[in-house]
Amino acid sequence: MDVALFIPCYVDQLAPSVGLATLRVLEHVGCRVHYDPRQTCCGQPFLNVGATREAARLARLYGACFEKAEAVVCPSASCVSTVRQRYAELDPGLESACARTFELGEFLVRELGRTELGSCFPHRVALLQSCHGLRELGLGHPSERVYATAPEPGVTESLLRAVEGLELAWPERPDECCGFGGAFSVKFPELSVRMGRDRLRALAATGAEYVTGSDMSCLLHLGSVARREGFGPRPIHLAEILASGLET
Amino acid sequence: MSALLDSRAARLLPDGEALVRHDAAVFDLRRRRDAAVAALPDFEALRAHAEAIKAHTLDHLDTYLERFESQASAAGARVHWAEDGVAHNRIVHELLEARGVRRVVKSKSMLTEECGLNPYLEAQGVEVVDTDLGERIVQLGGELPSHIVVPAVHRSRQEIGTLFHTHMGIPSGESDPVRLTEHARRDLRPRFLAAEAGITGVNFAIAETGSIVVCTNEGNADLGMGLPPLHIACMGIEKVIPTLADLATLLRLLARSATGQPITAYTSLVTGPRRGGELHIVIVDNGRSRLLASSAHRQALACIRCGACLNTCPVYRRAGGHAYGLAVAGPIGSVLAPALQSGDAARELPFASTLCGSCSAVCPVRIDLHDQLLVWRRTRARPRGIESGLYRLAAAVLARPALFRGAGRLLRIVWPLLSRHWLGNPARAWRVGRELPEHPGASFAARYRRLREAKR
Amino acid sequence: MSARERVLARLRGAVRHERPPPGSFVPAIADSSWEAFAEMLRSVGGEPVGPVEPDALERTLADLCTDAGSGRVVAGPGVDGAWEQVSDEVAPVSLADVDVAILRGSIGVAENAAVALDGRHAPVRALPFLCERLVLLLEVRAIVPDMHAAIARMPVDATQFHHFTWISGPSKTADIEQTLVLGAHAARSLAVVGVRSHAESFR
Repeated sequence: MDVALFIPCYVDQLAPSVGLATLRVLEHVGCRVHYDPRQTCCGQPFLNVGATREAARLARLYGACFEKAEAVVCPSASCVSTVRQRYAELDPGLESACARTFELGEFLVRELGRTELGSCFPHRVALLQSCHGLRELGLGHPSERVYATAPEPGVTESLLRAVEGLELAWPERPDECCGFGGAFSVKFPELSVRMGRDRLRALAATGAEYVTGSDMSCLLHLGSVARREGFGPRPIHLAEILASGLET
Repeated sequence: MSALLDSRAARLLPDGEALVRHDAAVFDLRRRRDAAVAALPDFEALRAHAEAIKAHTLDHLDTYLERFESQASAAGARVHWAEDGVAHNRIVHELLEARGVRRVVKSKSMLTEECGLNPYLEAQGVEVVDTDLGERIVQLGGELPSHIVVPAVHRSRQEIGTLFHTHMGIPSGESDPVRLTEHARRDLRPRFLAAEAGITGVNFAIAETGSIVVCTNEGNADLGMGLPPLHIACMGIEKVIPTLADLATLLRLLARSATGQPITAYTSLVTGPRRGGELHIVIVDNGRSRLLASSAHRQALACIRCGACLNTCPVYRRAGGHAYGLAVAGPIGSVLAPALQSGDAARELPFASTLCGSCSAVCPVRIDLHDQLLVWRRTRARPRGIESGLYRLAAAVLARPALFRGAGRLLRIVWPLLSRHWLGNPARAWRVGRELPEHPGASFAARYRRLREAKR
Repeated sequence: MSARERVLARLRGAVRHERPPPGSFVPAIADSSWEAFAEMLRSVGGEPVGPVEPDALERTLADLCTDAGSGRVVAGPGVDGAWEQVSDEVAPVSLADVDVAILRGSIGVAENAAVALDGRHAPVRALPFLCERLVLLLEVRAIVPDMHAAIARMPVDATQFHHFTWISGPSKTADIEQTLVLGAHAARSLAVVGVRSHAESFR
């Protein structure tokens, strides 16, 4: 299957290994991966501060970049939720172009029907559920909801449980926000750090060596708090875990 | 530019024991809510029903208010209309003045907080005693409530004991909640008996029957309605619901969402005055009709003031209600403030959120709260001036791949500088409580290119 | 134009008349047993008593009052026995020293242990809130599963009795450090005596 890779601006600049891991995983499951160097940013930071004109401009660039793609895969749940759910209101013409953008986990599980990839990561790993991934893309089950019958494990959880040797740990308050929130992290730094520290403590209390999730922004924020505090599990992106131990 | 909420939070709910206690106490309400709603397998359907009731009501609000007025009047109540908070206060005061009332007991009403009724009446020489225990505590402390359901959640038992010692003359050093509550009971009971008027809020106003519904756990509203000869009930225009049947759905959601109880201890329907008494109902607009006219924001009027959004909000729990500077704090407060209030604080509040969406997920009437905040960011709260210019510049760079790559290379070069202290360091806000990550070196784009070149 | 006219005019300009009223809600739960009601009552701090046969009621009430101590006991309409009866003529403040009030409830709700008390059975509105201990009588067959059924069963003219209160458990608060305390301002305790009535239901 032909897949176009979308590596968001901050991953490109501050966590390129996540992009490489995503590439590795997609090729491992048999995709032909293309990377268009014209891509830059999905526009979410502008959308979230109400700068809709600027966001629309970047949305149209995204559309132009990926209009011919059969599927676009991106290792960032928040960017994907922006593209799939917010682009249409920025520019109605983008709607069909954006319907085929997927977060990595949901692409593997829902589009390709794969949960077990042959990955190996023999460590105790705590899960940090991305708010956008959880509540906008449905990658897991939000703790607020009531289900008549117990639901099947979510996308992210299914993939992690299929990783050899991986011991999955859930922190207390399994989906409380980590406090990043984009511009929030610098406009409300005191509150952002209070949330980050509490999340870090909850994750550390699971005894996990690593913390993972589908949004590198959350992980970078937590990692930054951990570096200042001097404790806490090491952040690692879902893609990097899935790429571990894969046979070439 | 440090945001108001952020600096107020640091000052009013300092890091340490008070913060931990506040966060845990409020989140406990969220936990109780989860346990209570889990017992209803059709809970999500019940929410959808409640949303539909409120949406229909708002679509016909004029009709239902007129019907309510007509039915309430037929039952012997007097209905008054107030366009804003000032008019509301004046109406209430005139009713008291005409009957020579000097002693009033009041049960919880966020509307009266919004209108500033207490200070207004006190300035006119009327003694107003808040009878809800939490409200009484903040009244004695000279402060606003910090939560709409548990007004004194920010106070420790020791602080409450001190307040009671100072204002009620109880022995000093008392901090046992049971004994403190007993002291409050003994102090307030004679005030109920001596009160000349009772002022209450209204949880729901039923158009079909002209009844007002008041829900409490303490029974204080009922004492205030049943003892003095004059009862004044204050309600916002959005409190009306069509029928008694609709009340069932909303009652099943209210207490469960607020505190995890299946229903409050007391749920009273009052239709017309009691024998030998008077009932006056004051219907207040105060900016709500403006919200109704806005298609983007009208759904916020569906709010039943359960407080579930406050309990789940990670920002509210770590900032405390007082940091918001509003009668109603938290997500719903931040959604209503830009419409009902002017000023910088109101404009800033839509940004005081990570848009995690937990509030929308717990709202019993399915108000899309986090989406409402985003809409405000685009309209009344959108960036201006220098900030707007910076965003335009950033977008211009990101729109051109070559510029973006160049900017990236520049960022890599100056990265180590961002971890140092110097005037105007743009990373200063990030470095509050955090270290910058190490720069990883070459970008993904560059590594990908090398990877592909190596393969050839 | 009065304030009323101005407010209504603004509303008329803003309303939509789009969405119809939703249909009625049919809940999933259906347990209306005394056991379910009693368990819920205990969980909200109330005390279920019985259920008893009608001829054992007076004895049961006497025992409850003796247990409570020797304060003033009053009863509302329809409560048999040599209790001091309360009429709607009395001034509410004259009831401030009541220790036990015995009143008839008309509907019980299993999902939340609420008991309906209206103006016919509690003629002085403040009485259930002034007394130290409240005792409510409830026919077992008047228990319904949920609020939808309960409200549907409210007597047609219930709202004409000025006040209609659903009471679930005693007065309570958790305003001081979230510690649950019973007996905030109103009744410190609530006992609900179930009655297995076979005669025509009192209405």
